[in-house]
Amino acid sequence: MSGFTQIVLHHYLAIGAILFSLGLIGFLTRRNLIILFLCTELMLQGVIITLLAFATFHGNLQGQAFVIFALVIAAAEASLALGLIVLLFRQKQTVDADAWRELRG
Amino acid sequence: MQFVLDHSYLIPLLPLLAAVVIGLFGAKILRGASHWPIWLSVGGAAVLSFTLLFSMLGNLEVAKTGLTPAVFHRVLWFDWFSAGQGDQAVSIQAGALIDALSVTMLCVVTGIGFLITVFAAGYMKGEKGYWRFFAYVGLFISAMTVLVMGDNLVLLYLGWEGVGLCSYLLIGYYFSKTEAREAAPKAFIVNRVGDLGFLLGIFLTYYCFGTVTFFGGVEAAGGQTLGFVEMMKDPAAHVASDRLWLLPFIPLLLLIGALAKSAQFPLFVWLPDAMAGPTPVSALIHAATMVTAGIYLCVRCAPLFYAYNEILILIGVLGCFTAVFAGSISLRQYDLKKDFAYSTCSQLGFMFVAFAALSPVAAVFHLITHAFFKALLFLASGVVSHATGGVLDMRKMSGLKKFLPATRWLMLIGCAALAGVPLITAGYYSKDVILVGSFKHSPVLGVMMLISALMTAYYTFRLYFRVFEGPEIIPAEANQQQDEHQHGSHATDSHATNSHAAGSHSVSSLAAGSHAGVHHHGPREPLIMILPLIVLAIGAIFAGFIDYPHRDKSLGAFLGSSPSLSLGYEVAEQTYPGKIQPIPFGQNGAEAGRDEAKISAERKLHNYMMVGSGALALLGIALASYYHLFNRQALAELSRRLGSVIRLLEAKYYVDEIYEALFVKPYAAFARLTQYLDYAIDGAVFAVALVPQAAGATLRYTTQRGYLQGYALSFLLGLAVILALMFY
Repeated sequence: MSGFTQIVLHHYLAIGAILFSLGLIGFLTRRNLIILFLCTELMLQGVIITLLAFATFHGNLQGQAFVIFALVIAAAEASLALGLIVLLFRQKQTVDADAWRELRG
Repeated sequence: MQFVLDHSYLIPLLPLLAAVVIGLFGAKILRGASHWPIWLSVGGAAVLSFTLLFSMLGNLEVAKTGLTPAVFHRVLWFDWFSAGQGDQAVSIQAGALIDALSVTMLCVVTGIGFLITVFAAGYMKGEKGYWRFFAYVGLFISAMTVLVMGDNLVLLYLGWEGVGLCSYLLIGYYFSKTEAREAAPKAFIVNRVGDLGFLLGIFLTYYCFGTVTFFGGVEAAGGQTLGFVEMMKDPAAHVASDRLWLLPFIPLLLLIGALAKSAQFPLFVWLPDAMAGPTPVSALIHAATMVTAGIYLCVRCAPLFYAYNEILILIGVLGCFTAVFAGSISLRQYDLKKDFAYSTCSQLGFMFVAFAALSPVAAVFHLITHAFFKALLFLASGVVSHATGGVLDMRKMSGLKKFLPATRWLMLIGCAALAGVPLITAGYYSKDVILVGSFKHSPVLGVMMLISALMTAYYTFRLYFRVFEGPEIIPAEANQQQDEHQHGSHATDSHATNSHAAGSHSVSSLAAGSHAGVHHHGPREPLIMILPLIVLAIGAIFAGFIDYPHRDKSLGAFLGSSPSLSLGYEVAEQTYPGKIQPIPFGQNGAEAGRDEAKISAERKLHNYMMVGSGALALLGIALASYYHLFNRQALAELSRRLGSVIRLLEAKYYVDEIYEALFVKPYAAFARLTQYLDYAIDGAVFAVALVPQAAGATLRYTTQRGYLQGYALSFLLGLAVILALMFY
């Protein structure tokens, strides 16, 4: 714990980046549509954390206001995405993303 | 006269309008009455033409001494087209050239054309394409009048092409018959060869002379007031000196066109096949009018031709060869119309020989008389085929004189005229003038033409004796009336069995009644078909009297007032000094200055020739009567002994087969070669088209796999590229 004096901005940014990357990698490698969506949300959360970190760093509430927007959008998008997943499931009786690979060419 | 001159455009316009009217309304509305517009318009054009003729004859002044003054009128119709700019500008006007020559031709074309359209209304009755026939005929007459009336080579060429087109359309009229379908393109393509020569001749004329107008008198664009024919009086003054050597090629090229159109060797092969068309077409186009266009062209440009001895020799050789060659083929033709077709080639050869022997008046004279009796002969054959149910093979019929009495006498008159029976037929006088002229020019030529005349008399009367005399044999088709032109379906009459019952008929065919024992539609010799034949027969007898050499209003004197002939005489005098006779050029006045002894020697030769040619004609008829009337068996024996010669004649000297091997097959092979080349080119284009296709496929199979995460990865990569570009 020696180089670790105070929690500074770049620590928060690192957290945000790690969350985003995890979400990205998960999105690129997972097959389950719901997990895919989960990873999308994860990416969003990473960005939110970055925003909050900057808000604190600059000492104002602009970042936090933007985060509220982002959260609302995340919620709306979640309902939309889950609705789409339900519809897709009804077509193919599976939540495997590979089922839709015929939409190619 | 002035009215007609001012409205000379009516002569080609009326038949053209009639053709358009029939074309638009004939199929549904006019139908069986489609002949009326043609009768009215061609009749009107004939009236106008004859008005011109009589008024020009009335105004004719024959000089007592010296050259006949040239009389011609030029009427400008409209500016046709122009091309080029500045001093290379070409401007062609359309106008009429009214002189003795064109008026004579106009009267022949419209007059005989009118008679043939009257006949055709009867002959083609009941045809499904009745209106189509008359529309084409109207178009033809219009084009032919443009041809003979045009005041420049380009307008003449328009008419030339027009008649070629109508010939194609009319030969192929019975398009369901294979022979017709094959003969029509053959005629057109062979004529195209001639047209190529003609066109090159026109270009060369313009290149050398700077104008294509025949005679000036009217200021044309480019400041030319002289026509190129007039310039031939002194070519060096009007043609650039570095182009003078090209001049002899102009008549040569124009000649090629004339040879094709007038069916001379080697471009005659289309004419016998053209007999697949309806008989009125054969009479009109391939006997009386279109095939005479070549002669007209030569006579019109006579000064151009008469300046070069080599060209005249060529014309004489080809014409003489055709006259003998075609005549010999005719000796062994069995089809009536083919017989007359080869005869037409032969007689046109006579006309060309006359022209080459420096007797243009004789050529035109024979053109006129030939138009009469050849049209008569073809139309009479039409009556025969109409009555025999389409049979034209003389081996299948005989002794029709009681079956078709009126036709028999009319055909006899026509045959007599063609053979040149002395004194009483027009053919005698016109052929005699040609024989005299050719003999004087060159005895060898004269002898060859006499041989051809003998053959003409023989084969003509061979046909007559075979068809109309002898034991009566009527073809079976006569009863069933399966005409060459479908009359629809007839129920065969139950009492139309014995064809020999027809032999006991009296001369009642002119009445529109029915005949007991033979079933057919109406009379066998309908009045509408016989009347024109009677008029033509009168012409075939009396037309010979229009050219008494020393009368003031003779054909020769009239034609002599045409600038083509008077200038032709002058140019011929320059080319052959002291050897030209003025009468064959219609220059009756110039006779006065000539040596009396020469004139009387010529007259004596003329008299000997008249007796000689008459005797030859009678000899030919006598030979024909022996072999075909009195002793037909003798012919069979003669045929056996001359077997190989006969086979050669029957095969028409294998000319068609030779042309097929020399020209048609190589050209077909060439066409196939280009087809393969075409495949190669198509392949190349196709290969080029493959490139974008391949590119697209590549993109599709790499970037659009339907794999969701793959798309996300593409987003990412794109983003990375943009960020890199932004920060570096």
